[in-house]
Amino acid sequence: MAAGGGGVADPLSPAGVPCAFSPQSQAYFALASTDGHLRVWETANNRLHQEYVPSAHLSGTCTCLAWAPARLQAKETPQRKKRKSEAIGTSNQTDLLALGTAVGSILLYSTVKGELHSKLISGGHDNKVNCIQWHQDNGYLYSCSDDKHIVEWNTQTCKVKCKWKGDNSSVSSLCISPDGKMLLSAGRTIKLWVLETKEIYRHFTGHATPVSSLLFTTIRPPNESQPFDGITGLYFLSGAVHDRLLNVWQVRSENKEKNAVMSFTVTDEPVYIDLTLSENKEEPVKLAVVCKDGQVHLFEHILNGYCKKPLTSNCTIQIATPGKGKKSTPKPIPILAAGFCSDKMSLLLVYGNWFQPTIERVALNSKESHVCLVRDISNCWAPKVETAITKVRTPVMNSEAKVLVPGIPGHQAAIKPALPQTEEIENKRKLGENEVSIEERLGALDIDTRKEKDDLPQTNSFPVLLAQGLESNDFEMLNKVLQTRNLNLIKRTVLRMPLHAVIPLLQELTKRLQGHPNSAVLMVQWLKCVLTVHASYLSTLPDLVPQLGTLYQLMESRVKTFQKLSHLHGKLILLITQVTASEKTKGTTCPAQKAKLVYEEESSEEESDDEIADKDSDENWDEEDEEEKESIKDEDVDEENEEEDEDTEEKDEENGIQELDFCEGVSFYLRLVSFIKSRCKTALVKKFLIWYI
Amino acid sequence: MAGYKPVAIQTYPVLGEKITQDTLYWNNYKTPVQIKEFGAVSKVDFSPQPPYNYAVTASSRIHIYGRYSQEPIKTFSRFKDTAYCATFRQDGRLLVAGSEDGGVQLFDISGRAPLRQFEGHTKAVHTVDFTADKYHVVSGADDYTVKLWDIPNSKEILTFKEHSDYVRCGCASKLNPDLFVTGSYDHTVKMFDARTSQSVISVEHGQPVESVLLFPSGGLLVSAGGRYVKVWDMLKGGQLLVSLKNHHKTVTCLCLSSSGQRLLSGSLDRKVKVYSTTSYKVVHSLDYAASILSLALAHEDETIVVGMTNGILSVKHRKSEAKKDSLPRRRRPAYRTFIKGKSYMKQRDDILINRPSKKHLELYDRDLKNFRVSKALDRVLEPSCTIKTPEVTVSIIKELNRRGVLANALAGRDEKEISRVLNFLIRNLSQPRFAPVLINAAEIIIDIYLPVIGQSPVVDKKFLVLQGLVEKEIDYQRELLETLGMMDMLFATMTRKDSTLVWQRTSGGLLENKKVES
Repeated sequence: MAAGGGGVADPLSPAGVPCAFSPQSQAYFALASTDGHLRVWETANNRLHQEYVPSAHLSGTCTCLAWAPARLQAKETPQRKKRKSEAIGTSNQTDLLALGTAVGSILLYSTVKGELHSKLISGGHDNKVNCIQWHQDNGYLYSCSDDKHIVEWNTQTCKVKCKWKGDNSSVSSLCISPDGKMLLSAGRTIKLWVLETKEIYRHFTGHATPVSSLLFTTIRPPNESQPFDGITGLYFLSGAVHDRLLNVWQVRSENKEKNAVMSFTVTDEPVYIDLTLSENKEEPVKLAVVCKDGQVHLFEHILNGYCKKPLTSNCTIQIATPGKGKKSTPKPIPILAAGFCSDKMSLLLVYGNWFQPTIERVALNSKESHVCLVRDISNCWAPKVETAITKVRTPVMNSEAKVLVPGIPGHQAAIKPALPQTEEIENKRKLGENEVSIEERLGALDIDTRKEKDDLPQTNSFPVLLAQGLESNDFEMLNKVLQTRNLNLIKRTVLRMPLHAVIPLLQELTKRLQGHPNSAVLMVQWLKCVLTVHASYLSTLPDLVPQLGTLYQLMESRVKTFQKLSHLHGKLILLITQVTASEKTKGTTCPAQKAKLVYEEESSEEESDDEIADKDSDENWDEEDEEEKESIKDEDVDEENEEEDEDTEEKDEENGIQELDFCEGVSFYLRLVSFIKSRCKTALVKKFLIWYI
Repeated sequence: MAGYKPVAIQTYPVLGEKITQDTLYWNNYKTPVQIKEFGAVSKVDFSPQPPYNYAVTASSRIHIYGRYSQEPIKTFSRFKDTAYCATFRQDGRLLVAGSEDGGVQLFDISGRAPLRQFEGHTKAVHTVDFTADKYHVVSGADDYTVKLWDIPNSKEILTFKEHSDYVRCGCASKLNPDLFVTGSYDHTVKMFDARTSQSVISVEHGQPVESVLLFPSGGLLVSAGGRYVKVWDMLKGGQLLVSLKNHHKTVTCLCLSSSGQRLLSGSLDRKVKVYSTTSYKVVHSLDYAASILSLALAHEDETIVVGMTNGILSVKHRKSEAKKDSLPRRRRPAYRTFIKGKSYMKQRDDILINRPSKKHLELYDRDLKNFRVSKALDRVLEPSCTIKTPEVTVSIIKELNRRGVLANALAGRDEKEISRVLNFLIRNLSQPRFAPVLINAAEIIIDIYLPVIGQSPVVDKKFLVLQGLVEKEIDYQRELLETLGMMDMLFATMTRKDSTLVWQRTSGGLLENKKVES
C-alpha cells in the first residue's frame, strides 16, 4: 500500500460498487460492497442503519441492487396478506431492496424487518445478474443477465412470469419507460420492447462497448402539438463500459434516425448516474454523473433535438483531503455516488471508502465550473462499531465455512484466530464459531488506523521500503523512510531491515551526512542505530575500514571545527541575550527618559554633539549600573568628564534596574570598552553617534 | 612590474550525482506530453518507416499517433473486447493485433476494417508479430499455443503446443524468417524454427516471462520476468550471459535504443532503467508517475513513449540541438592574430624580448591589487557570486584574512550590507569546506558590530538565525563525536586482525625488496 504500485488489485477501490439511494426522500443509501456485505446507511446523519451478509455472499457477490418504488408497498399489502402466508409477513411498510448476485439468484431484502424477505431463484437466470428494475406500478421486477435473457418476475408469488432472450450477447442494462409500458434493454445494442407483447419496438446502435447504464431523462415529449402515445419523443441516456461519452437518444415515431441525438463527455467511465426529470419543456434536465476516477460532473441542459458537439459539464465536483502542512499533498477522495435531493437544488454526495462512506448534502452552486471540496476523512477511517446500529443481523453460517479475508492475493492475508466477539449481536440463532467480526477482518487487512491518520506508512513496511529504495536508488522512497523523526521507528526499521542492505544504507547515509545540520541530525540517528544494532555484523566484514573510511573521514573533518564553533556560539549567545534584554527594557523605560551617558569630547563640536545626545529622548540606551560605572572610572581616567544625570539614574534604578542581570552588565562593559577604543578616531565616533540618531 | 598573483580559488570536489555522457543524453528530453487513454496502455509500437508514427494499444482500441500529434490520427476500434499488442510490419503498412476473444486481426494502415482475421486461438492472444519475410504472423495465446499464420490466404501453418502456461510475449527474428521466440508464464523462453515444427532452444528464466527481445543481430536474447532481466547467448545454445536485478517490482517491458548500445527496461516500480549493453550496468534511470506496462523508443531515440497502468501515455521528445548554436557568439580574433610573428626564427645576434602578456584579472582581483579591500568584498558578496560560486567568496574572505585586513573590509557597513554578509554566513557556515574561514569571519563581525547591536531589528534577526544554526551544528557535531566513538570501537576490534595482516604484508614487501636488491 505504501509503495504505490499499480493500484490494479486494490480491494478498497470503490469504482463500480453497486449502490443506490432509497426512493422516498433518499433517507437511506444501500451499498453492496465487494466483501459480500450489504450495508444500509442513513443519509441524514451518516450512520450505519443495517448490515446484512447474505449466506452465499462469497460465492455469489451482489452485482446490482434496486430499491422498490415507494408507491407500491403502501397499497398492495392488504391483498397480499390474505393470499400469502407468513413468509411475506405482517409488516406492511416493507421497504424492499432487490439484490442481484453473480450466480443468477435475486434476493429481496426487507430493510424494515432487517432480514431476507424472499428469494427469486426458480426458473430465473443461470449467470450473473447485470441489472434489476422494479416496475413502478404493479410490483413486477425485471432483471437481465449474462445468460442473454430478460426475466419478468412476480414478486408476490416469487415466480417467473415471463422470460425471453434479450440479446445475442449478455444483456447489461434495463430501464422502464415513464408510463410503464415499454422496456429498454441494452447489451451491445439498445432495444426498446413493448412489455405487453414482448416485441421489439425500436433498435438503437452506436456504442462500441457494452452499455452499462440506461435512464429516461424526460417524461413528456418536447413538442406538445402531437398526440403523446407514451413513448414517442422521449429522450433517454446511455453510458457504456470504457467509454467517456454519455449518449442521449430520442424515440422517434419513424424508425429512420438511429444515431444518438447528442452526447455528454465526462473524464472517465461513468459508474453512477442520477438526474432530475424535466416535467415541462422549459425546465432543464439536471444530470449528475459519478465517474470511475471519483469525480462528479453536473450537466444542465434543455433537451431539444440534435446537437453535434459533445457537451462538457457545467460543473465538476472533486473531494480531496486537506494536505497537512507543506509536505503532504492533498489526496483525492473518490466519490461513490451522487443523488439529487427532492428539492433539486442540493446534491447528496457519498464519498470515501465503501466500508465507511461519508454522506454529505451539498448545495448546488452552478456558477463555479470546478468545485473541490476539502474533507478530512481520516477519522472516519477508523472502522469502529457504531453504537447506534439498530440491528445487525448475521446469517447462519456453516461451521466448516472458511471466511476469506479480503485482501491483495499473496499480500500477507494473515488468518488470525477468532477473538472473542465484542459486538453485541442479537444472538437468537446459534452462530457458527468461525464468524469473524468486521473489526477483525479489517485487522487482518493490516490497516493500522492510527498510522493511517498520521499519513505515515506503517512500520512494518519501512524495512521493505528502505530495501527497495536502496536497491533502485529511489530518492523519494528513501526520503520517506529516512526523514522520520521517531526514534523507535528508526530502531525497529534498522532491526528488521535485511542484512544485505546495511552497507548500501551506510553509503546512502554518508551521502546525506554532508548536508544541512537540520536534516543531517536525523541521519546521525540512523547511523547510530545501524552501528549499535549491526555492530557484530559490521565487525565481521573484512573490508570494513575501506567501506567506512570515507564516512569516518567526513565526520572527522566536520568535527574539526567544533571548538571554534563553540567559541563563536558563546559569543553569539551573549549577543542575543543582550538584544533580548535591550528589547525588554525598551518596553519598561518611560519615553521621556533622557540619555544616561553622554560622552563629551574636548573638541569644537562639543556643543553640537551634546545637543544631539540630549535630543535622544526615546533612544534605547542601556541603563548602567553603579558598580559598572565605577570600574570603568578606575580603568580610564578620561571617563571622568562624563556628564551624569543623577536624577534620571535614580529614577531608573527604581523602574528598570531590577531587570538588569549580570550578563547584561558584562555586555555593557564590553560595549563601553570598545567604544573607548574607537574613540581615538573622531571620525568613527561621529559615525557612531550618527548611527544612534 | 612585479606580477600580481591572482587569488587562488580553491576548488572542491562536487558532491552529488556523477554526470556522465548517459545522464546528459537521457536527460536531454523535453517535459513529457501526457495523453489519457481509455485503459491501461499494454503496448506501444513505433512504425519502422518515416514518418515514424506509433500505435498505442489500450483497452479495446488501437490509436495511431503522429510523432508530434497529441490527438490520434487514426483509430481502430472494431474490437469486441480488449485488444493486445498492435505491431507494425517492417514496411509500416500493415498492423497486426491480438484480442481478448482469441482473434488475430490484420489491418491496413489506411483502411478501417480488418484485412484478415485469423481464427484459431481459443483464448486471449497477448502477443503477435510479423516474421522477417513479411508474409507470416506469429501469435501466442493464453491457450498455451503458439501459431504461425500465412497472410495471403489467412491460414494457419503451424501450431506449437510446447508451453505449459499462458504465452504472453514473443518476438520474431529480424534476420531469419523462420525463427521466432516466445516467453510464457511457465517460466520458459522457447525459440522455434518454422522448418522443424518444434522448439530448437528452450531456456529457463525462473519467473513468469513478461517480455522478450532479440537483438538485431539475433545472437543475444533478453528476457524479462519477475524482478529479473536476463540476457542469453543464443549462438551458444542458450547460455545465460547476465542476470540483472535492478528493479524492485516485476519488469514488464524491454526496449533497445536505436544504436543498440543501450537496453531499456520498464517495470511496475514506476522506473525505466537504461543499461549499457557492453558492461550491463545501469547507466541511467527514468522515473514515471505510475506502473509502467509498455515502452518504446522512436527512430534515433527522438521520442520515448511510455504507457502506464493508469491509462496515461507519456511522450517525451528530444530537445532539438539546433537551438544552442543559434545563439550569437562574440567574434573572437582570428587565428592569424595569434600566430603573428611566432614563426620568426631567431638569428644569432638577436636578443628576443617578449612582450609581457597582459594578464586578465577578475574584478575582485583588480580591487585587491589596488588595496580596495572593502570593494573587493562587496564584489564577491553580490548575489550572483554568492549563489553560483560561494567558493570564490570564501577564497576572497580567506585572502583578506591572510592579509590581516578582513576587519577593515567588514567594518563600516550599513544595515543592508551587514545583512548581506550575514546571509552568506547563514547559508554557508554549515558546509564543512567553508566552515573554518567563515567562523573566523563571523567572530570578526561580532567584534566589530558589537557596539551597535540592538539598533537594527533586521540585523538582530539575522544574528538570531545564525545563532540557531550554530547551535544546531554544534548539536550535530556532538552527535557525530559520539558516533565517531562508536566507530572507533568498531575499528578497534578490526585493527587487531588488520594489524597482523598489515604486518604480514609489510614483511612480505620487505622480502620482495630484498629480492630486488639481491
